[in-house]
Amino acid sequence: MTSSIRALIFSNGIEGLKSLYQSNEIIQYDWLEVGPDFNPDLAGYDLLIVPNGSDHIAMYRIRDKVLKFLDAGGSLFCFDGWFTDWVPGHRWVMDNSQKSIAVRYKLRDDPYQLAAKFRPEDLNFSHGISGWWACGYIESAPGSHVLLEDTWGRPLVVIDQTTTKGLMVLTASAPAADLSYATTDDDAAERAMTELYRALLSLIPIQKQKTHVK
Amino acid sequence: MSNKKIGLIFNGVWSQYAFAKATKYRDCYVLLYIHDLNATQLDSVDALVIPFQSNHEAIAQHRDLLYHFLAQGKKVFVEGDSSAQWLDARWEDRPVNNFWWVKDPHNSPVSETDYSHPIYQGLKPRHAFWHYHGVYTRIPDHASIIQKNVDGDIVTWQTNHFGGTFLVTTLDPIVEHGVQQITHLDHFCDRLTEWLIGYRPEGKFEILKSDYGIAV
Repeated sequence: MTSSIRALIFSNGIEGLKSLYQSNEIIQYDWLEVGPDFNPDLAGYDLLIVPNGSDHIAMYRIRDKVLKFLDAGGSLFCFDGWFTDWVPGHRWVMDNSQKSIAVRYKLRDDPYQLAAKFRPEDLNFSHGISGWWACGYIESAPGSHVLLEDTWGRPLVVIDQTTTKGLMVLTASAPAADLSYATTDDDAAERAMTELYRALLSLIPIQKQKTHVK
Repeated sequence: MSNKKIGLIFNGVWSQYAFAKATKYRDCYVLLYIHDLNATQLDSVDALVIPFQSNHEAIAQHRDLLYHFLAQGKKVFVEGDSSAQWLDARWEDRPVNNFWWVKDPHNSPVSETDYSHPIYQGLKPRHAFWHYHGVYTRIPDHASIIQKNVDGDIVTWQTNHFGGTFLVTTLDPIVEHGVQQITHLDHFCDRLTEWLIGYRPEGKFEILKSDYGIAV
Protein backbone atom coordinates (compact mmCIF):
# COMPACT_ATOMS: atom_id res chain seq x y z
CA MET A 1 0.00 0.00 0.00
CA THR A 2 1.34 3.42 -0.95
CA SER A 3 1.36 6.09 1.78
CA SER A 4 -0.26 9.42 1.01
CA ILE A 5 1.79 12.33 -0.29
CA ARG A 6 2.99 14.78 2.35
CA ALA A 7 2.76 18.23 0.80
CA LEU A 8 3.72 21.68 2.05
CA ILE A 9 1.87 24.60 0.43
CA PHE A 10 3.22 28.14 0.54
CA SER A 11 0.63 30.78 1.41
CA ASN A 12 0.98 34.53 1.10
CA GLY A 13 -2.45 35.16 2.58
CA ILE A 14 -4.44 35.82 -0.59
CA GLU A 15 -8.21 35.48 -0.42
CA GLY A 16 -9.70 32.07 -1.19
CA LEU A 17 -6.47 30.12 -1.58
CA LYS A 18 -6.94 27.63 1.23
CA SER A 19 -10.31 26.42 0.02
CA LEU A 20 -8.73 25.12 -3.20
CA TYR A 21 -6.59 22.41 -1.57
CA GLN A 22 -8.36 19.72 0.48
CA SER A 23 -6.46 16.87 2.13
CA ASN A 24 -7.68 13.46 1.00
CA GLU A 25 -6.56 9.83 0.74
CA ILE A 26 -3.97 10.73 -1.92
CA ILE A 27 -2.38 13.79 -0.36
CA GLN A 28 -2.11 15.49 3.03
CA TYR A 29 -1.47 19.23 3.04
CA ASP A 30 0.28 21.47 5.54
CA TRP A 31 0.28 25.24 5.06
CA LEU A 32 3.28 27.50 5.43
CA GLU A 33 2.63 31.22 5.85
CA VAL A 34 5.09 33.68 4.33
CA GLY A 35 6.16 36.42 6.73
CA PRO A 36 9.09 38.59 7.80
CA ASP A 37 12.37 36.65 8.25
CA PHE A 38 10.92 33.77 6.24
CA ASN A 39 13.10 30.73 6.91
CA PRO A 40 11.01 27.54 6.76
CA ASP A 41 11.97 23.96 7.54
CA LEU A 42 11.18 21.88 4.45
CA ALA A 43 12.24 18.54 5.92
CA GLY A 44 9.78 15.68 6.07
CA TYR A 45 7.78 16.58 2.96
CA ASP A 46 7.52 14.79 -0.37
CA LEU A 47 6.19 17.81 -2.26
CA LEU A 48 6.37 21.60 -2.13
CA ILE A 49 3.47 23.43 -3.79
CA VAL A 50 3.78 27.05 -4.89
CA PRO A 51 0.21 27.87 -5.96
CA ASN A 52 -1.23 30.46 -8.28
CA GLY A 53 -0.71 33.98 -6.85
CA SER A 54 2.36 33.19 -4.71
CA ASP A 55 5.07 35.40 -3.25
CA HIS A 56 8.18 35.07 -5.42
CA ILE A 57 10.24 37.49 -3.34
CA ALA A 58 9.91 35.04 -0.46
CA MET A 59 10.67 32.08 -2.72
CA TYR A 60 13.82 33.78 -4.00
CA ARG A 61 15.00 34.31 -0.44
CA ILE A 62 14.79 30.53 0.24
CA ARG A 63 16.03 29.36 -3.17
CA ASP A 64 19.00 27.53 -1.66
CA LYS A 65 16.69 25.55 0.61
CA VAL A 66 14.46 24.63 -2.33
CA LEU A 67 17.47 23.42 -4.31
CA LYS A 68 18.66 21.36 -1.35
CA PHE A 69 15.17 19.87 -1.00
CA LEU A 70 15.12 18.93 -4.69
CA ASP A 71 18.62 17.49 -4.60
CA ALA A 72 17.48 15.25 -1.75
CA GLY A 73 14.91 13.78 -4.16
CA GLY A 74 11.95 15.96 -3.26
CA SER A 75 9.31 17.27 -5.65
CA LEU A 76 8.19 20.80 -6.49
CA PHE A 77 4.97 22.00 -8.12
CA CYS A 78 5.09 25.65 -9.14
CA PHE A 79 1.74 26.72 -10.59
CA ASP A 80 2.58 30.39 -10.98
CA GLY A 81 4.65 32.97 -12.81
CA TRP A 82 8.01 33.01 -11.02
CA PHE A 83 9.48 36.34 -12.06
CA THR A 84 12.44 35.85 -9.71
CA ASP A 85 15.21 33.38 -10.41
CA TRP A 86 14.50 30.73 -7.80
CA VAL A 87 13.45 27.71 -9.95
CA PRO A 88 16.64 25.82 -10.87
CA GLY A 89 17.33 25.86 -14.61
CA HIS A 90 14.00 27.35 -15.75
CA ARG A 91 12.75 30.85 -16.41
CA TRP A 92 9.20 32.15 -16.64
CA VAL A 93 8.62 35.14 -18.88
CA MET A 94 5.49 37.28 -18.98
CA ASP A 95 4.45 38.16 -22.51
CA ASN A 96 1.61 40.07 -24.17
CA SER A 97 2.75 39.82 -27.77
CA GLN A 98 0.05 37.27 -28.68
CA LYS A 99 -3.72 37.65 -28.40
CA SER A 100 -5.35 35.44 -25.79
CA ILE A 101 -8.26 34.84 -28.16
CA ALA A 102 -5.88 32.70 -30.25
CA VAL A 103 -4.49 30.59 -27.39
CA ARG A 104 -4.98 26.83 -27.63
CA TYR A 105 -3.21 24.13 -25.65
CA LYS A 106 -1.47 21.17 -27.28
CA LEU A 107 0.16 18.04 -25.95
CA ARG A 108 3.84 17.86 -26.94
CA ASP A 109 5.77 15.30 -24.88
CA ASP A 110 4.02 12.89 -22.51
CA PRO A 111 6.40 10.14 -21.35
CA TYR A 112 4.16 9.21 -18.39
CA GLN A 113 0.94 9.02 -20.45
CA LEU A 114 -0.67 11.70 -18.31
CA ALA A 115 -3.04 12.59 -21.13
CA ALA A 116 -4.92 9.41 -20.26
CA LYS A 117 -5.95 11.26 -17.10
CA PHE A 118 -6.91 14.67 -18.52
CA ARG A 119 -7.91 16.17 -21.87
CA PRO A 120 -5.83 19.13 -23.07
CA GLU A 121 -8.66 20.36 -25.33
CA ASP A 122 -10.95 20.76 -22.30
CA LEU A 123 -8.56 23.40 -20.94
CA ASN A 124 -9.04 25.72 -23.92
CA PHE A 125 -12.15 27.66 -22.90
CA SER A 126 -13.79 29.06 -19.79
CA HIS A 127 -17.28 30.37 -20.52
CA GLY A 128 -16.27 30.75 -24.14
CA ILE A 129 -13.10 32.70 -23.28
CA SER A 130 -9.72 31.33 -24.33
CA GLY A 131 -6.33 32.02 -22.83
CA TRP A 132 -7.90 32.01 -19.39
CA TRP A 133 -5.38 30.16 -17.23
CA ALA A 134 -1.85 30.32 -18.64
CA CYS A 135 0.11 33.56 -18.84
CA GLY A 136 3.47 34.08 -20.50
CA TYR A 137 5.61 31.01 -21.16
CA ILE A 138 8.47 28.94 -19.76
CA GLU A 139 12.00 28.81 -21.06
CA SER A 140 12.61 25.25 -19.97
CA ALA A 141 15.86 23.57 -19.02
CA PRO A 142 17.48 21.09 -21.44
CA GLY A 143 16.33 17.53 -20.84
CA SER A 144 12.94 18.48 -19.42
CA HIS A 145 9.63 17.34 -20.92
CA VAL A 146 7.20 19.93 -22.25
CA LEU A 147 3.83 18.35 -21.49
CA LEU A 148 1.70 21.22 -22.85
CA GLU A 149 2.56 24.01 -25.25
CA ASP A 150 0.54 26.93 -26.58
CA THR A 151 -0.52 27.86 -30.11
CA TRP A 152 2.96 29.18 -30.86
CA GLY A 153 4.80 26.15 -29.45
CA ARG A 154 5.81 27.84 -26.22
CA PRO A 155 6.12 25.62 -23.12
CA LEU A 156 3.31 26.02 -20.59
CA VAL A 157 3.56 22.83 -18.51
CA VAL A 158 7.01 21.34 -17.96
CA ILE A 159 8.21 18.22 -16.15
CA ASP A 160 11.88 18.08 -15.20
CA GLN A 161 13.70 15.14 -13.57
CA THR A 162 17.10 16.08 -14.96
CA THR A 163 18.20 19.47 -13.64
CA THR A 164 18.13 18.32 -10.00
CA LYS A 165 17.88 14.94 -8.32
CA GLY A 166 14.22 15.64 -7.65
CA LEU A 167 11.11 16.34 -9.72
CA MET A 168 9.92 19.76 -10.87
CA VAL A 169 6.49 20.34 -12.41
CA LEU A 170 6.11 23.90 -13.61
CA THR A 171 3.16 25.69 -15.19
CA ALA A 172 3.09 29.16 -16.69
CA SER A 173 0.56 30.09 -14.02
CA ALA A 174 -2.52 27.92 -13.46
CA PRO A 175 -5.22 27.41 -10.81
CA ALA A 176 -4.21 23.74 -10.52
CA ALA A 177 -5.70 22.35 -7.31
CA ASP A 178 -8.18 19.85 -5.85
CA LEU A 179 -10.88 22.44 -6.42
CA SER A 180 -10.48 24.96 -9.17
CA TYR A 181 -12.41 27.90 -10.42
CA ALA A 182 -11.76 26.24 -13.74
CA THR A 183 -14.19 26.21 -16.61
CA THR A 184 -17.94 25.80 -16.87
CA ASP A 185 -18.81 25.48 -20.52
CA ASP A 186 -19.72 21.85 -20.02
CA ASP A 187 -19.12 19.07 -17.51
CA ALA A 188 -15.80 18.00 -19.04
CA ALA A 189 -14.41 21.51 -18.99
CA GLU A 190 -15.57 21.98 -15.42
CA ARG A 191 -13.27 19.15 -14.36
CA ALA A 192 -10.35 19.86 -16.67
CA MET A 193 -8.01 21.80 -14.38
CA THR A 194 -8.56 19.48 -11.43
CA GLU A 195 -7.95 16.47 -13.67
CA LEU A 196 -4.67 18.02 -14.83
CA TYR A 197 -3.71 18.50 -11.18
CA ARG A 198 -4.58 14.89 -10.31
CA ALA A 199 -2.59 13.67 -13.31
CA LEU A 200 0.45 15.65 -12.15
CA LEU A 201 0.07 14.25 -8.63
CA SER A 202 0.42 10.74 -10.08
CA LEU A 203 4.09 11.58 -10.72
CA ILE A 204 4.86 11.91 -7.03
CA PRO A 205 4.71 8.19 -6.08
CA ILE A 206 7.00 7.50 -9.06
CA GLN A 207 9.44 10.09 -7.77
CA LYS A 208 9.22 8.74 -4.20
CA GLN A 209 9.97 5.24 -5.43
CA LYS A 210 12.92 6.52 -7.45
CA THR A 211 14.34 8.29 -4.40
CA HIS A 212 13.95 5.25 -2.17
CA VAL A 213 15.63 2.97 -4.72
CA LYS A 214 18.70 5.20 -4.54
CA MET B 1 7.92 61.46 -16.57
CA SER B 2 6.34 62.12 -13.19
CA ASN B 3 8.30 63.49 -10.25
CA LYS B 4 5.74 61.96 -7.93
CA LYS B 5 5.64 58.26 -7.11
CA ILE B 6 2.94 55.78 -6.17
CA GLY B 7 3.89 53.05 -3.72
CA LEU B 8 2.41 49.65 -4.61
CA ILE B 9 2.12 47.46 -1.51
CA PHE B 10 3.64 44.31 -2.97
CA ASN B 11 2.75 40.76 -1.97
CA GLY B 12 5.32 39.19 -4.30
CA VAL B 13 2.59 38.31 -6.84
CA TRP B 14 3.57 38.28 -10.51
CA SER B 15 0.61 40.26 -11.84
CA GLN B 16 1.32 43.09 -9.38
CA TYR B 17 4.95 42.99 -10.52
CA ALA B 18 4.04 42.89 -14.24
CA PHE B 19 1.92 46.03 -13.88
CA ALA B 20 4.52 48.01 -11.95
CA LYS B 21 7.32 47.00 -14.35
CA ALA B 22 5.43 47.67 -17.60
CA THR B 23 7.10 50.43 -19.59
CA LYS B 24 4.01 52.60 -19.37
CA TYR B 25 3.80 52.58 -15.59
CA ARG B 26 7.29 51.82 -14.29
CA ASP B 27 8.21 55.49 -13.80
CA CYS B 28 5.09 56.08 -11.69
CA TYR B 29 4.93 53.01 -9.44
CA VAL B 30 7.38 51.75 -6.81
CA LEU B 31 7.08 48.22 -5.40
CA LEU B 32 7.03 48.22 -1.59
CA TYR B 33 7.35 44.59 -0.44
CA ILE B 34 4.87 44.07 2.37
CA HIS B 35 7.23 42.14 4.64
CA ASP B 36 9.89 44.87 4.44
CA LEU B 37 7.50 47.82 4.71
CA ASN B 38 8.54 50.70 6.96
CA ALA B 39 7.81 54.38 7.61
CA THR B 40 10.80 55.59 5.60
CA GLN B 41 9.49 53.85 2.48
CA LEU B 42 6.05 55.37 2.90
CA ASP B 43 7.56 58.83 3.41
CA SER B 44 9.22 58.49 0.01
CA VAL B 45 5.99 58.08 -1.99
CA ASP B 46 3.10 60.46 -2.72
CA ALA B 47 0.22 57.96 -2.94
CA LEU B 48 -0.42 54.27 -2.26
CA VAL B 49 -2.17 51.40 -4.01
CA ILE B 50 -3.07 48.17 -2.25
CA PRO B 51 -3.79 45.72 -5.08
CA PHE B 52 -5.97 42.61 -5.26
CA GLN B 53 -4.20 39.47 -3.97
CA SER B 54 -2.67 41.34 -1.06
CA ASN B 55 -1.77 39.85 2.31
CA HIS B 56 -4.26 41.63 4.56
CA GLU B 57 -3.01 39.94 7.72
CA ALA B 58 0.39 41.48 7.02
CA ILE B 59 -1.11 44.84 6.04
CA ALA B 60 -3.00 44.95 9.34
CA GLN B 61 0.37 44.87 11.11
CA HIS B 62 1.08 48.24 9.47
CA ARG B 63 -2.33 49.76 10.11
CA ASP B 64 -0.96 52.78 11.99
CA LEU B 65 1.51 53.55 9.20
CA LEU B 66 -1.28 53.54 6.59
CA TYR B 67 -3.54 55.87 8.57
CA HIS B 68 -0.59 58.17 9.30
CA PHE B 69 0.01 58.28 5.54
CA LEU B 70 -3.62 59.28 4.96
CA ALA B 71 -3.48 61.88 7.72
CA GLN B 72 -0.84 63.72 5.69
CA GLY B 73 -3.52 64.42 3.07
CA LYS B 74 -2.32 61.71 0.66
CA LYS B 75 -4.41 59.28 -1.38
CA VAL B 76 -4.75 55.52 -0.88
CA PHE B 77 -6.42 53.21 -3.43
CA VAL B 78 -7.53 49.72 -2.35
CA GLU B 79 -8.73 47.10 -4.85
CA GLY B 80 -10.22 43.60 -4.59
CA ASP B 81 -10.82 42.20 -1.12
CA SER B 82 -9.84 43.75 2.21
CA SER B 83 -9.94 43.00 5.90
CA ALA B 84 -11.87 44.52 8.80
CA GLN B 85 -8.59 44.18 10.72
CA TRP B 86 -7.46 47.45 9.18
CA LEU B 87 -10.44 48.83 7.20
CA ASP B 88 -13.72 49.84 8.88
CA ALA B 89 -15.95 48.07 6.38
CA ARG B 90 -17.34 44.61 5.65
CA TRP B 91 -16.13 42.88 2.49
CA GLU B 92 -17.93 39.69 1.44
CA ASP B 93 -17.04 37.19 -1.24
CA ARG B 94 -19.25 36.69 -4.31
CA PRO B 95 -18.87 34.45 -7.39
CA VAL B 96 -16.72 36.19 -9.98
CA ASN B 97 -18.68 36.79 -13.17
CA ASN B 98 -15.94 37.57 -15.66
CA PHE B 99 -17.89 36.28 -18.65
CA TRP B 100 -21.07 38.43 -18.64
CA TRP B 101 -19.73 40.39 -21.61
CA VAL B 102 -19.70 37.15 -23.63
CA LYS B 103 -22.94 35.57 -22.40
CA ASP B 104 -25.12 38.63 -21.83
CA PRO B 105 -23.27 41.79 -22.89
CA HIS B 106 -26.24 44.13 -22.47
CA ASN B 107 -26.74 43.26 -18.80
CA SER B 108 -23.72 44.39 -16.81
CA PRO B 109 -23.56 43.19 -13.18
CA VAL B 110 -22.84 46.81 -12.19
CA SER B 111 -25.91 49.04 -12.45
CA GLU B 112 -24.85 52.37 -10.93
CA THR B 113 -21.67 54.39 -11.42
CA ASP B 114 -20.97 57.97 -10.36
CA TYR B 115 -19.30 59.26 -13.50
CA SER B 116 -18.58 62.60 -11.84
CA HIS B 117 -15.68 61.02 -9.94
CA PRO B 118 -12.36 62.08 -11.55
CA ILE B 119 -11.34 58.50 -12.35
CA TYR B 120 -14.65 57.66 -13.99
CA GLN B 121 -15.16 60.94 -15.89
CA GLY B 122 -15.23 60.21 -19.60
CA LEU B 123 -15.04 56.45 -19.21
CA LYS B 124 -17.41 54.28 -21.21
CA PRO B 125 -19.38 51.76 -19.12
CA ARG B 126 -17.21 48.88 -20.40
CA HIS B 127 -14.10 50.79 -19.27
CA ALA B 128 -15.58 51.56 -15.85
CA PHE B 129 -16.46 47.94 -15.04
CA TRP B 130 -15.21 44.52 -16.14
CA HIS B 131 -15.75 42.25 -13.11
CA TYR B 132 -15.55 42.54 -9.34
CA HIS B 133 -14.16 40.38 -6.55
CA GLY B 134 -16.78 40.46 -3.84
CA VAL B 135 -18.78 43.42 -2.54
CA TYR B 136 -19.04 45.68 0.51
CA THR B 137 -22.11 45.12 2.63
CA ARG B 138 -21.08 47.79 5.14
CA ILE B 139 -18.99 50.94 4.69
CA PRO B 140 -18.26 53.80 7.11
CA ASP B 141 -21.02 56.38 7.68
CA HIS B 142 -18.71 59.10 6.34
CA ALA B 143 -18.13 57.29 3.01
CA SER B 144 -19.83 58.01 -0.31
CA ILE B 145 -20.79 55.34 -2.81
CA ILE B 146 -19.39 55.43 -6.34
CA GLN B 147 -20.49 52.08 -7.79
CA LYS B 148 -23.17 49.52 -6.95
CA ASN B 149 -24.10 46.19 -8.46
CA VAL B 150 -27.56 45.12 -9.61
CA ASP B 151 -28.29 43.67 -6.16
CA GLY B 152 -27.57 47.02 -4.50
CA ASP B 153 -24.28 45.88 -2.98
CA ILE B 154 -21.42 48.36 -2.91
CA VAL B 155 -18.55 47.89 -5.37
CA THR B 156 -16.69 51.23 -5.04
CA TRP B 157 -16.68 53.85 -2.25
CA GLN B 158 -14.63 56.76 -1.02
CA THR B 159 -14.03 58.76 2.14
CA ASN B 160 -12.03 61.86 3.06
CA HIS B 161 -12.52 61.28 6.77
CA PHE B 162 -8.93 60.35 7.56
CA GLY B 163 -7.22 63.44 6.18
CA GLY B 164 -6.41 62.22 2.70
CA THR B 165 -8.66 60.31 0.33
CA PHE B 166 -9.40 56.62 0.69
CA LEU B 167 -10.82 55.08 -2.51
CA VAL B 168 -11.88 51.47 -2.14
CA THR B 169 -13.20 49.16 -4.87
CA THR B 170 -13.70 45.45 -5.46
CA LEU B 171 -12.63 45.96 -9.07
CA ASP B 172 -9.06 44.80 -9.75
CA PRO B 173 -7.53 47.19 -12.33
CA ILE B 174 -3.91 46.83 -11.19
CA VAL B 175 -3.78 43.02 -11.05
CA GLU B 176 -5.98 42.49 -14.11
CA HIS B 177 -3.94 44.93 -16.19
CA GLY B 178 -0.82 43.04 -15.12
CA VAL B 179 -2.41 39.82 -16.37
CA GLN B 180 -2.98 41.51 -19.77
CA GLN B 181 -6.02 39.48 -20.78
CA ILE B 182 -8.43 42.46 -20.79
CA THR B 183 -7.24 44.89 -23.41
CA HIS B 184 -9.04 48.09 -22.41
CA LEU B 185 -7.75 48.62 -18.85
CA ASP B 186 -5.39 51.41 -19.87
CA HIS B 187 -8.40 53.73 -19.69
CA PHE B 188 -9.05 53.03 -16.03
CA CYS B 189 -5.43 52.66 -14.93
CA ASP B 190 -4.31 55.84 -16.68
CA ARG B 191 -7.04 57.85 -14.98
CA LEU B 192 -6.32 56.15 -11.65
CA THR B 193 -2.65 57.11 -11.95
CA GLU B 194 -3.53 60.68 -12.87
CA TRP B 195 -5.95 60.94 -9.94
CA LEU B 196 -3.26 59.64 -7.56
CA ILE B 197 -0.29 61.81 -8.64
CA GLY B 198 -1.52 64.26 -11.28
CA TYR B 199 0.28 62.58 -14.17
CA ARG B 200 -1.33 60.54 -16.96
CA PRO B 201 0.97 57.82 -18.39
CA GLU B 202 1.26 57.48 -22.15
CA GLY B 203 2.40 54.83 -24.57
CA LYS B 204 1.92 51.07 -24.78
CA PHE B 205 1.91 48.50 -22.01
CA GLU B 206 5.20 46.86 -22.98
CA ILE B 207 6.79 44.01 -21.06
CA LEU B 208 10.58 43.84 -20.95
CA LYS B 209 11.91 40.29 -20.98
CA SER B 210 14.88 41.46 -18.94
CA ASP B 211 12.53 42.07 -15.99
CA TYR B 212 11.92 38.32 -15.67
CA GLY B 213 14.15 35.73 -14.06
CA ILE B 214 15.64 38.40 -11.83
CA ALA B 215 17.69 38.31 -8.65
CA VAL B 216 16.33 40.41 -5.80
